[in-house]
Amino acid sequence: MFSSYETTKQTVTIILDGKPQRVPAGVSVAAAVLGTGKTHTRTSLISGEPRAPFCMMGVCYECLLEIDSRKDQQSCQVQVKEGMIINRQIRTNGEEK
Amino acid sequence: MKDAFGITTIGFDVAVIGAGPAGISCANSLADMGLEVVVLDEQPNPGGQIYKNIEHVSSACLNILGDDYSAGQPLIKKFRHRNPTYYPGASVWQVNSDGHIFYSKDGISKEEAAKFIVVATGAMERPVPFPGWTLPGVMSAGGANNLIKNGGLVPNGRVALAGSGPLLLLEAVHLIDMGVDIKAILETTPAIPNISSLIHLPQALGRMDLLKKGISMLQKIKKAGIPHYKGIRKLSVKGNDRVESVHALKGDDSINVDADMLFVHFGVVPNTSIYRQIGCEHEWNDIQRYWYPQSDKWGRTSLSNVFAAGDGQFVHGAVPAALKGELTALAIAADMKMIDKDERDKQAKSIENQLQNELKPRSFIDALYAPILNLLDVPKETLICRCECITMGQILDVIDEGCVDPNEVKALLRPGMGPCQGKMCGSIISEIISMRTGKKIKEVGSLNIRPPLKNIPLSEIAEIKFLA
Repeated sequence: MFSSYETTKQTVTIILDGKPQRVPAGVSVAAAVLGTGKTHTRTSLISGEPRAPFCMMGVCYECLLEIDSRKDQQSCQVQVKEGMIINRQIRTNGEEK
Repeated sequence: MKDAFGITTIGFDVAVIGAGPAGISCANSLADMGLEVVVLDEQPNPGGQIYKNIEHVSSACLNILGDDYSAGQPLIKKFRHRNPTYYPGASVWQVNSDGHIFYSKDGISKEEAAKFIVVATGAMERPVPFPGWTLPGVMSAGGANNLIKNGGLVPNGRVALAGSGPLLLLEAVHLIDMGVDIKAILETTPAIPNISSLIHLPQALGRMDLLKKGISMLQKIKKAGIPHYKGIRKLSVKGNDRVESVHALKGDDSINVDADMLFVHFGVVPNTSIYRQIGCEHEWNDIQRYWYPQSDKWGRTSLSNVFAAGDGQFVHGAVPAALKGELTALAIAADMKMIDKDERDKQAKSIENQLQNELKPRSFIDALYAPILNLLDVPKETLICRCECITMGQILDVIDEGCVDPNEVKALLRPGMGPCQGKMCGSIISEIISMRTGKKIKEVGSLNIRPPLKNIPLSEIAEIKFLA
């Protein structure tokens, strides 16, 4: 849904859902994940529907991700770092994937 | 820290919560006057939402975002030069009226204390529910704007914009400049301005420069040939797992737009969480339909050591926010006897004049873009509480059964008990109760806000680092 407006000079490598991804340095984790082409960051714990970042300013909590082993982090408020391990919080049939 | 008698005391003179234009300018002024300041902010860098990432943004994005954005540079530069104690990445989750603050940073919670507290937590976009608003691909226009500032990201599919207010149109202009494929703009604002806005027009004409800016935005949208509908109702989005199409009604005609993304904006409201949690008194603005903390011209709230600065005090925009931060700093400096009251008033005079000049078009714009919520148009199956998946129908049912207090609705159905703690649905629930029962919002009231304001694990509270 999103692509970079210009070629990025500096990048860092994150591990997203177990796969290494090069993303622009200095961006928020939520932006980095959207920039890799993912359409959603988590599924609703109640309905299982996919959810994506909505407000990008720390209000809506739709961008919750597991970042470096800490669950439910507001990824729009965290900057990417080299080697950061990020997992989307996707549940299927009540089980976390 | 030492007090007037040279006795060491705990904490700072002033804690400023929020590093947007109001918080930064307030901290800069306080530091100029020799006060010990700590600035706590949730983001990794200073600037708030409006000047987000301004120290690192690329020149290409800087060009797109224009003068209103780069205006933040000197403010942030001065902040870096002044270098007050600054905790970025700090989420404040409790503020006590005695000046004690609890915040979480990097998974550790700590206590901080100050004689005065300035809450400069700004504003947020008004959440307005409609069918499909939880689908991936629906994002707030401010969110899309933040992706430009902080990710250099531009939408690469078909985009529609919907809602009302100048920021919706401004975002459209940014996207046009970036070559984005905009399929339609759907405004809830009617084509013919409401009479009550025109009363404020003469005053707004005092800032022709700002009005011209608005007119040139509209011209750019027109020139781009984008279908632009006004006075739309019944906005909805359809799609399987993501946005596929956007729909609305204009009169009896239906508008159908194939799109991959919808950016929505329904105006801006003060973020009152911390004011509410501390226990500040609030007032209701009936034109823009929002609560704001009661305060005097210095931003002093109903609690004498707690100040409200910036858009959190009342939505006036970035430049006024910085000016209000300066006024707050003067009041605190006078309370701290760093300056006397004559000096405070003398310095305040020119700031107030600038503020007055900046606010000339505000009443006109606020009335012109008064929110048209039409919440009773929202179908019963639409989610109101995104976190707990509570629908319009469930909420209407309990209201009809006599449950007309938002806190009772919360207790019965759980809206506002998910991760966002009612930041998204709280104001909507009060509006729905008001519209369904005919009761005024002031009588309906709002959700109680309790700590912790942010979701933190219990283990973090157990290991909290208190001040010695």
